[in-house]
Amino acid sequence: MTHRRWFTPWLLAGPAIVWLAVFNLWPAVNTVILSFTNAKPLGGGQFTGLENYGRLLDDEQLADALLNSIVFMLVCLPLLTVLPLLLALLVQRRIPGITFFRTAFYTPVIASAVVVALIWGWVLDDRGLVNGVLQQSGLTDSPVSFLTGRWLLLFSAIALTVWKGLGYYMVIYLSALANVPPELHEAAAVDGAGPVSRFRHVTLPGVRPTMVLISALISVSSLRVFSELYVLSHGQGGPGGRDMSVVMLIQMYSRGFNGHLGYASALSLLLFVVTLGPMLFLMRLNRKAA
Amino acid sequence: MRRIWAALTTTAFTAAALTGCGLGSGDTKNSDSVASAAATGEVKGKVSLQTWALKPKFTDYMQGVIDGFKKKYPGVEVEWLDQPGEGYSDKVLSQAAAGTLPDVVNLPPDFALPLAKKDLLLDVAKADAKLADEYVPGGVDAYRYAGLPGTFGYPWYLNTDVNYWSSDLLTKNGLDPKKPPTTLDELIAQARVMKDRSGGQAYLMSRKPGIGDFYNAGVKIMSDDGRTFTFNTPEAAALLDKYRDAFKAGLLPNDVLTNTYAGNSKLFNAGTVAWTTAGANYITSLATDNPTLAPKVVPSPAMATPPLYVQGLSIPKGTKNPAAALALARWVTSAENQAAFAHLTSIFPSTKASADDPFFSRSDGTNAGDAKVIAFNSLAKAKLIQPVQVDDAMSTIVNQQIALAMSGDASSKQALDTAVEQCNKLLKG
Repeated sequence: MTHRRWFTPWLLAGPAIVWLAVFNLWPAVNTVILSFTNAKPLGGGQFTGLENYGRLLDDEQLADALLNSIVFMLVCLPLLTVLPLLLALLVQRRIPGITFFRTAFYTPVIASAVVVALIWGWVLDDRGLVNGVLQQSGLTDSPVSFLTGRWLLLFSAIALTVWKGLGYYMVIYLSALANVPPELHEAAAVDGAGPVSRFRHVTLPGVRPTMVLISALISVSSLRVFSELYVLSHGQGGPGGRDMSVVMLIQMYSRGFNGHLGYASALSLLLFVVTLGPMLFLMRLNRKAA
Repeated sequence: MRRIWAALTTTAFTAAALTGCGLGSGDTKNSDSVASAAATGEVKGKVSLQTWALKPKFTDYMQGVIDGFKKKYPGVEVEWLDQPGEGYSDKVLSQAAAGTLPDVVNLPPDFALPLAKKDLLLDVAKADAKLADEYVPGGVDAYRYAGLPGTFGYPWYLNTDVNYWSSDLLTKNGLDPKKPPTTLDELIAQARVMKDRSGGQAYLMSRKPGIGDFYNAGVKIMSDDGRTFTFNTPEAAALLDKYRDAFKAGLLPNDVLTNTYAGNSKLFNAGTVAWTTAGANYITSLATDNPTLAPKVVPSPAMATPPLYVQGLSIPKGTKNPAAALALARWVTSAENQAAFAHLTSIFPSTKASADDPFFSRSDGTNAGDAKVIAFNSLAKAKLIQPVQVDDAMSTIVNQQIALAMSGDASSKQALDTAVEQCNKLLKG
């Protein structure tokens, strides 16, 4: 005999609901409220209406930060969508020693982003490995300013992000590739399709949902880039702060005893809205293609 | 039904959020009553003390100080908390927000200011009439803030900057370590010699100018009421122009544009740069990082007014044991205990009674001993150069704009105007 009580489902879902309310919903609501105040970490804060949002329009650093985040996304998106797929196709083959390569490609993923960025900082600085090689080989007379140039710093961070992310997305693609029925490849081969044709007409359609998922993940993480740029620029965001990302701006305004929580919250909401854009676009694209 | 639930949830969250926003005021305890209780109350019961990064190096010393206090006041119980160096401001901030600050807290003046503004700290001068008589004026003044009556901490140990020169690098590049530059112009001239002789492989200069350099160039950093920054003057722009020209001429490494203050000493430790500035203890710590370089370092006094670095002990107004807290703060910062501390490491006591201690004015003949004496003598004219109102975000903005001017992407005046405008916005917001 089974007893059905109306509260049983609520009892089971309760812990998850409480968790979501306390750690997701509540901070989100609080951020919205704070964005309309001039709150500081030590309390206080009066309702200031749309003042913080008005300030967003005047903030030159924000314009740079948004541009950086968008450039970051536009460069990372194709690179991190396509390269890991090619890498996955490469390491998917069952040839001796391939496990070593799979592990090697995945290793950067498990390393801490801060540690990796520190190492790249040493490699790319004036007296680093890259500048040493460039100067020794006579390609340049003086060190290339990888870590201080307006665009060079941004692209150094992009290169680091791509290098570090390859292995992660490769593993996702590997599982997607494993789900593509081999019979389809065999049938296509029997019909005379070459490797390129099989890739276009069998592999790509097979991994398309994964590709969309990866694109969405990359878009969000690129727009929220922080540690790579922060560590490479020693937290300074380059000369004039022109290489700051939106998250770096949020961190700069919110930290410390005098943190401007109201303005930082307005920045957070702006970032949320900006992040929604590419997500909705990709979802729409996927639905259309389906 | 759904609508009712939705409305109720929204109302609950809004109410909770507004409460969480902390729209109320800080501690409401009366300052006079706490000061009076601190001055006249009996020293007994439990009291907590929070220090900053003293463990494990100074565990024995601090334990000795605490044991001495317990011996002097039997029946008192001291809980000692030592916080790690990293993230201390965040720790203090979370304690202050939660109302769990220990009874006695190590707070440098810039940490104490926001707490004092929120009326969270005790005016120790109210509770201790002898404060100004026993501690050096520079130390006491560090805990007095424009527009905020009171003294919000006992000055503890002091330090200042000393110039350090790598005699090897200087000699190798045709410069005399016994005649180090004493002005910016001399520094730039010697940096040029260094660059030419070393073929750009070694540098003399490796740091951006900062607020301290503007101060030393006669620039007024802030208005007297502490409400506006004013360092965007032609004098500051002229100084920045000199640095920009030096950078353009390759006298400073590229990464100086994004390096923080510590970047300069890292390059010095690595043997790439021949000049750095640091506290009196620098050679001793260098002996661990680069034992070959340490004996070859020559110290000299800072070029203009040396900066004064102050650590102090503050007492939160919400302390449950004000008498014991005050007695403990006085005890830890007493001349006797500070002198014992200064004998362990190169810091200097903030008590007037320690000024005549020959230990500080006599070198043991080593370069580390010379640095200690130079620092001690410099303290007499050292000043709190950077206003305590300058927070992390402002420092970042000033650094960014100075780097922008040095890179040549903005004029010095433009960069300074932007820095002042943004810092003023932060100050008012």
